Amino acid sequence: MIKWITIAKHEYVYNIRRKEFLFVTFGLPLFILAIMGLPVLLAGSSASPEEYMIGYVDRTDLFDSVNFIKYTDEGLAKKDLLDGRITHFFVIPADYTVTGKIDIFSAKKGFLGSMAVESQIKGFLLDNLLKTETKEIVERAKNPINSEYFTLNDRGESTDAGLSAFLISIAFAVFFMLSIFSSSNFLLQGVVEEKESRVMEILLSSISYRDLLIGKIFGLGAVGLTQILIWFIIGMVLMSSNPISLASLLGRVHISIPLLMFAIGYFILGYLVFASIMAGIGAVATTSREGQQIAGIFSITGAIPLIISQFIIANPNAVLAKALSFFPLTSPITIVMRLSLAQVQFYEIIISTLVLMASILIIIELSVRIFRASLLMYGKKPAIKEVVKYLHEG
Amino acid sequence: MAVEISHISKSFNGQSVVKDISFDIAPGEVFGLIGPNGAGKTSIIRMLLDIIRPDSGRIRILDGSPEGIKDRIGYLPEERGLYRRLTVMDTLMYLGALKNRQNRESRERTLELLEKMDMLLHKDKRISELSKGMQQKIQLIAAIGHNPELIILDEPFSGLDPLNMKLVKDLILELGREGKTILISTHMMDQVERMCDRIFMINRGSGVLYGSVGEIKSRYGKNTIFLEFEGELKNIKGVKKINHSGKYAELVLDAGADAQDVLKNIVSEVRVSRFELSAPSLNEIFIEVVEHDKVDHNSKT
Repeated sequence: MIKWITIAKHEYVYNIRRKEFLFVTFGLPLFILAIMGLPVLLAGSSASPEEYMIGYVDRTDLFDSVNFIKYTDEGLAKKDLLDGRITHFFVIPADYTVTGKIDIFSAKKGFLGSMAVESQIKGFLLDNLLKTETKEIVERAKNPINSEYFTLNDRGESTDAGLSAFLISIAFAVFFMLSIFSSSNFLLQGVVEEKESRVMEILLSSISYRDLLIGKIFGLGAVGLTQILIWFIIGMVLMSSNPISLASLLGRVHISIPLLMFAIGYFILGYLVFASIMAGIGAVATTSREGQQIAGIFSITGAIPLIISQFIIANPNAVLAKALSFFPLTSPITIVMRLSLAQVQFYEIIISTLVLMASILIIIELSVRIFRASLLMYGKKPAIKEVVKYLHEG
Repeated sequence: MAVEISHISKSFNGQSVVKDISFDIAPGEVFGLIGPNGAGKTSIIRMLLDIIRPDSGRIRILDGSPEGIKDRIGYLPEERGLYRRLTVMDTLMYLGALKNRQNRESRERTLELLEKMDMLLHKDKRISELSKGMQQKIQLIAAIGHNPELIILDEPFSGLDPLNMKLVKDLILELGREGKTILISTHMMDQVERMCDRIFMINRGSGVLYGSVGEIKSRYGKNTIFLEFEGELKNIKGVKKINHSGKYAELVLDAGADAQDVLKNIVSEVRVSRFELSAPSLNEIFIEVVEHDKVDHNSKT
């Protein structure tokens, strides 16, 4: 087996079993869930629609219902509400068709509950108002617009780029940045700790610096990606526990296969660029805290396209957007964002891909040199001048 | 030659650590690289392993084919460290895999070595649960588990109790009998004296002694008396220097002094239970060379 794969496998298995990893990976979603869920639980308004018993008083004599209880007298409805036989009732005044005024009464306060009740009442009113229409018309009246956006290019062809594609690109950018932030931690720590653990010399008596560093980049990078994927899956599961919101989200997003392929390709290349940089910083830094400060500069640089996304959206082919497409730290997000909005020249894709690939090779090579030169000087922090010297010597 | 080092030098930040060192190690030889702390032993070893590179000079190892060379070397570094949360067996299997040995044969060899080192019972424990001496034995097993041709041991005896010291020593001697080339770097002279065929002594980055142990000792002549005695031993006529160690002492004779006369002088002072005329111990030669070097160094500066 190629030796860096052995290293990568070891790093992955060793780190994924760490208590810290398990704690953050599963603890953070639980924590967020607790923060979000607590108010709902405290408010006690998580009742499902079936738990509402709704009554009504109709002064127009136009409305019939199978689900709601009809009262002829407001007094009786009030009495039932107070006795707990119904949870809500509403009054349709005689001039309803002119004013649209509906008074809703309930025994408890609660905003979330009243929203659900109101939507039930709305459906009931529409059903009755459009009694003479067909079922489709009624459905359409309840949900009149199901939007999808298209952009026409110069030749008048519609590209499938639109709101959904743009949403994908923003999701891509956020996902990319999250992955980088969480992985940079693992990479820095992994390389710095290795220097401290003193196992390094045994490793280096078996493998080259290059194999060691590449193994670490892939192994620890995979640890960071695993964390992000677990969060992603937990997020999806939570969303699917509320099937309506997931379905409406997926229903609106049309995933264009070519865009997705580009997104995956750029993600992998961009991720490797950042992972190599983090490993290189780990090689220079004496503590992972110190490394994180330096790493922050690179991560923020990577986030620039996301920060100025409104300018890229407004003018995806402006000079700045094009320039960011060629810079390896910013190109993955910029290119995917532009791809989702407008035509991107073929040569731009080729150049940005080549730049990314070359950057990975160059950064790994530089990191190996720094690693080699600085490694055995435990606890000594190299000055910038020395780092430059390492690059020559290594 | 298993190892050929010719004229290597290395400096860190302008400070010269290794100065123009040359020596060879023959296949199957047990070779001692000795010198005081900070003499440059570990730097030489790191250069042998291509962990650092010499500024000048040439190193040839196992006939120089660089392909897979690291798989044929076993190394016990002076800086001891292992992954604390891994079990003994996982550690050894991982380090073995890095030497391209991950098969049944290497597993069996590892278990055999664990047994030999009295560690078989601990094979499923985590490294963090082991004592320092135990960890050191695990590292030694890691260094030889892949059946290397060349074994480099940096201070293999430091921090071991007498029982473990014997275990390690016996293992090294056994490997030597199997025909392995072994390089031991240490400042513990008495061990080297008994185990090594030839030595290279380094002080302040420069080579000071090189040759077979017997040859070096005979170069210094039979000018030393090993004495076991009762009483108080003070200045004796004809004796240049006394190295005390309790009831024992090593006496260095003045040039031209007659051992018989010295014995008479000693007997008049203390009760002698053992008297042996011998070549000086490597330890004494070491001290003499180092002190001599220091005087030279000081007079130069």
